[in-house]
Amino acid sequence: MTDATPSRIGEGYRRADLEKHEVHVAEGIYPPTEEMLTAPIDPELADAQKERLLAVWNDPPGWRYWSAVNNSEVGLWYSLTAFAFMLIAGCLALVMRLQLAIPDNDLISADRFNQFFTMHGSAMMFLFAVPMFEAISILLLPAFLGARDMPFPRLSAYGYWSFLIGGIFVMGSLLFDAGPAGGWFMYPPLTTIDQGVGPDIWLLGLSFIEVASIAAAVELIVGTIKCRPPGMRINLMPLYAWYVLVVGAMILFAFPPLIAGDFLFELQRSFDWPFFDPERGGDPLLWQHLFWIFGHPEVYIIFLPSIAVAAMVVPAAAQRPMVGYNWIVLSAVGTGFLSFGLWVHHMFTTGLPSISLGFFSAASEAVVIPTGVQLFAFVATLLAGRVKMILPMLWIAGALAIFTAGGLTGVMVALAPFDWQAHDSYFVVAHLHYTLFGGMVFPLIGGVYFFYPFIRKQMMSERLGRISFWLTFVGFNICFLPMHLTGLKGMPRRVYTYPGDVGWDTLNMISTVGAFVIAAGIAVFAWDLVRPKGKLMEDRNPWNEGSLMWSHRIPDHYWGVRSIPYVTSRNPLWDQPGIVERMDQGGYYLPDAQEGLRETIITSAIDARPQHVTRVTGPAWCTMWAAFFTGGAFIFPTFHWYPPAVISAVLAVACVIYWLWTSTARIPENPMKDVNLGLRLPTYVSGPSAPGWWGVFITMLGDMTAFASLIFGYFFYWTVHPNFPPPLADHANGAWVALSALCYAAAWGATRVARPINRSGAVVMAQVLLSAGIVLAIAGAAAIMLSVAALDPTSHVYPAILWAIAVWTAVHTIVGIIMQGYCLAGTIFGKVMPEYDAPIWNTVLFWHFLLITALVSTAVVGLVPRMM
Amino acid sequence: MAGHMKTDLPAHRNIFRMIAAPTVWAIHFLLVYCTAALWCARDWGSIGALQAVIFGYTAVCLILVGILGWQMWRQWDYFDDNDYIHDQSTDEHRREFLGHAGFMLACLSFVAIIFDTMPAIFAATCQ
Repeated sequence: MTDATPSRIGEGYRRADLEKHEVHVAEGIYPPTEEMLTAPIDPELADAQKERLLAVWNDPPGWRYWSAVNNSEVGLWYSLTAFAFMLIAGCLALVMRLQLAIPDNDLISADRFNQFFTMHGSAMMFLFAVPMFEAISILLLPAFLGARDMPFPRLSAYGYWSFLIGGIFVMGSLLFDAGPAGGWFMYPPLTTIDQGVGPDIWLLGLSFIEVASIAAAVELIVGTIKCRPPGMRINLMPLYAWYVLVVGAMILFAFPPLIAGDFLFELQRSFDWPFFDPERGGDPLLWQHLFWIFGHPEVYIIFLPSIAVAAMVVPAAAQRPMVGYNWIVLSAVGTGFLSFGLWVHHMFTTGLPSISLGFFSAASEAVVIPTGVQLFAFVATLLAGRVKMILPMLWIAGALAIFTAGGLTGVMVALAPFDWQAHDSYFVVAHLHYTLFGGMVFPLIGGVYFFYPFIRKQMMSERLGRISFWLTFVGFNICFLPMHLTGLKGMPRRVYTYPGDVGWDTLNMISTVGAFVIAAGIAVFAWDLVRPKGKLMEDRNPWNEGSLMWSHRIPDHYWGVRSIPYVTSRNPLWDQPGIVERMDQGGYYLPDAQEGLRETIITSAIDARPQHVTRVTGPAWCTMWAAFFTGGAFIFPTFHWYPPAVISAVLAVACVIYWLWTSTARIPENPMKDVNLGLRLPTYVSGPSAPGWWGVFITMLGDMTAFASLIFGYFFYWTVHPNFPPPLADHANGAWVALSALCYAAAWGATRVARPINRSGAVVMAQVLLSAGIVLAIAGAAAIMLSVAALDPTSHVYPAILWAIAVWTAVHTIVGIIMQGYCLAGTIFGKVMPEYDAPIWNTVLFWHFLLITALVSTAVVGLVPRMM
Repeated sequence: MAGHMKTDLPAHRNIFRMIAAPTVWAIHFLLVYCTAALWCARDWGSIGALQAVIFGYTAVCLILVGILGWQMWRQWDYFDDNDYIHDQSTDEHRREFLGHAGFMLACLSFVAIIFDTMPAIFAATCQ
C-alpha cells in the first residue's frame, strides 16, 4: 500500500526544503498508478532496450577486463583478495601454534615470531576483516537496492587497487625479514626506537589501506542513502543496508583518529618530532588513546556487517520477516554509538584514575544491551517461523553460540579489577578470538554459502559445507577454549616460547591440535569455493528469500537490474507478486540506455522519491594509475625517498583530476530524460540532490574527525602535562596567525559568493572571485606556515604540535586550491555553466570544512597558548 | 485523528532527530570523562565537588534525553492505532518508524547515561 493519490510532480511532490536550488526537478507522475504497473509491454521494444543495456554494461573484452569497474567485478576481486590475505595470516598463526606446541621450542626465532604475531593481527584486521565487509557490500548492496551499480564505480576500483598494492607491500615485508614486529597496535616507545623499516611499513602501508577503506565507506554510505529504488523509504530498507549505513558512519569516525595518529607517529620516526617522547614533553599514552579510539569501534565495524549477513539469513531460514525490525535498527544504531565509549578498556592497566576507568567499564557493560537485543531478535524470529536448517543457518547458529561465549568473557574483562588479572594473558587471546570468530568468521562463511548462488549462479556443496562447519566449529573450541585456562594459569601473550614445568604444556599442545583442525575446516571451505561446479543452477531464488537481490538473472547480465522497480514492501519478492517478471520485461524505471551511457536512479535520502538519473563512470585505466601513484606516495617515504614520493603524489593527483574531468558531472545532451512510467528526471543536478555532493560531505566528516583527533592531542598534552606549553617557550608569530585567519575567511567568502554569482550568469565575475579565492588561499597557507617557521619542532612537543597543525592545514589548502582551480578551468572550458554547476557546489562544501579547519588551527596555534 | 491524515512536517523526515538522544549520550560521556581527567590531573578540588559536577551533567542530559524521547514518542504516536510494525511505503509509516526507533534509542541513551554516572558513586577516586 502507498500514499493513496499519485500526484503530478511539482505539486505535492516537489519539496521546497530539499530542492529549492535545483534548476531542473522531476516532472510527471509519481508514485506510478496501478494501471501503469500492469500495462502491457511491447516485446519488440523491450528486446531492443535489452540489447542496448547489455552493450553498455558488459565487461570489456580480453585483457581489458581488468579495467572493469562494475561492482560485480570489483567486489569479487576485492573479496577474493581479502580471503587470500586471510589464508596467509592464518598460515602465520599455524606456524606460531607449531612454535608453541611444546616448551622451549626453537622452530622460529623470537624476532620472526614477533613479526608473525604482528602481521597475523594486522592482516586479519586491516587486510581481511574490514576490506571483506567492504568487498561483500560492494558486491551485494546494489542488488539489495535494485540499483544498477554503486554511485561511484571508479572509486570502488581505486579503493580495490590501493588495497591490493598496500596489502602486498605490507605482507611482502615478511619475505625480507623486515616486517613490523611491535604488535598490531604498535605501541611506542618500542616502535619509535626501532631502527628497522618495520614500523614505517606498518604506518605508511596501513595508512594507505585506511584511505582505501574510507573511500569504500563513502561509496557505501552514499549508495545506501541515494541509490535506493523509488518507494523504498528508510523504513523499508533491507536490514543489511541499515548495517552498512551504521558501519560506514563508524568507519568515518573511527579510522581518522588512527590516520591522525599515524601522521604524528611517522613525523616522529622520520623527522624526530617528539610526540611520543616523554623527555621532550611528549607522551606515549597519546598513541594508545588514538589507536584505541580507532581500535575498539573497529571491533564493532567487523562485527556488525557479519550480523547483517545473519540478519538476511535468519528470515530466509525462518521463512518469515524479521521479528522486531525496529529493534534491530535500534541495536545497530545504538551499538554504533556506544562502541565509541569503550576505548580505554584496552588501557585499564595504564594507571589512569579509577573514576575514568569506571566510565569506560560502565559503557562497556552498557553496549551489551543493544548487542543482546539483536541476538534476541534473531532467536525470536527463529521461534516464530518454521525453521529450515539450511546450511548457511548452521554457520549462523554456530556463530551465535561462539559469539555469546565471547560476549560473556567480554563482560568479565570489561570489569577493571578482573582485567588487571587477565590483561595481556592468553585469557584475552581466547576472548578476542571467540568474539571475532563468532562475530565475523562464522557469519561470513555462512554468508558466502548463502550468497554464492547470487554471485556465481551456482550452488556450493551441501556436504562439503557441513564437513567444513563441523571441523571448524570443533577445531575452534579445541583450540581456544583451553586458552582461557592457559591465560588464567598466567601465560602471557606474545611470548615466543615458555619453560616446560609451569603447567602450560598440555594446554598448548591441545590448542595447536585444534588450530590444525580449524585449518582443515577452512581448507575444505576454500576448496568448495574454488572447485569447478559444472552447470549453472536453474532456480533463481534457492532460499526463497524476499529481498530484491534474488531477482537476478541466470546467467549473469552485467546491468545489475533490467529495470529499477517501484518498491512498496520490505520483502518485495514475497509481498509484490509479479515484480520479478515485470522487472525482467523492463516494465519499471530506466529500462533503456538510449544514449549509450551507464545510468542509475538517484532518490531522496529518506523517502526514496526519484530525483535524478545519474551517469555513472565506466571502465577505465586511470583509476588503476591513480592507485599506483598513490601507492608510490605512501611507499617511498618508508625508505625516506622523498623526491619520488612527491612526484608520485603529483601524478596521483593528475590521474584523479583527469578521471573527474573526463567522466564526472558531464554536461548532458538533454537536461531531462524520460525514465518510463510517466516520469521525467533531470540528468544533471548539483548540491544535496547530487551523489557527488554527498561524497564530498561524507569524506569531509571523516577528515574533520582526523583533524579533531589532532586537536585532541594538543589538549591531551595540556591536560596531562602541567608544563604545556612550557613557561618560557616561544609562541607562534601572532601577526602571521591573524593574517592567515583573515585570508582563509576571505578565500572562503570569495568561493561561497562565486556560486550564486555563477548561477546568475555573471560568469566573468565568478571567475574573478574564484581567482581571488586561490590567491587568498595561497596567502593563508603561507601565513600559517610562516607563523611557526621560527620554531624548532624537534626541540619539544609544543612547537612540534603547532607545526603538525600548520602542516595539516596547509596540505588541506592545496586540495582546496586545486578544487577552486578546477572550477575556474571548468567555467573557462565549458565544464561548468550557470545551469550546470555541481563542481562549484562541491568546492564550496569543501571550503566550509576547510574554513573550520583553518579557524580552529589559527586559534590553537596563535590564540589559545597565550591564554593557557 | 487517524495517522495517515496527519501533516507530515520536514522534522518528521529528519533522521538526525532519531539519533539526537544517543548524541546527547556521547556528549555526556565526553563531558564526564574530560572533566574527571582534568580534575584528577590538575587537582581541582575535592572528589565531592567532582561528583556534584557529574551529577549536574547527568541531570541536564537526562532531562534533554527525556524531552527528545517524548518528542519521538509523539512522532511514533503509538496509541492512535497501536501500530508497532511500520512496513508500508507511506509517509505515516516512515514517520512512525523514525519516531519508534528514535524513542527506543532515547530509552537506551537514558540507561547508558545512568550507567556512565555510576562510577561517580562507586569508584569516586582519582587513585
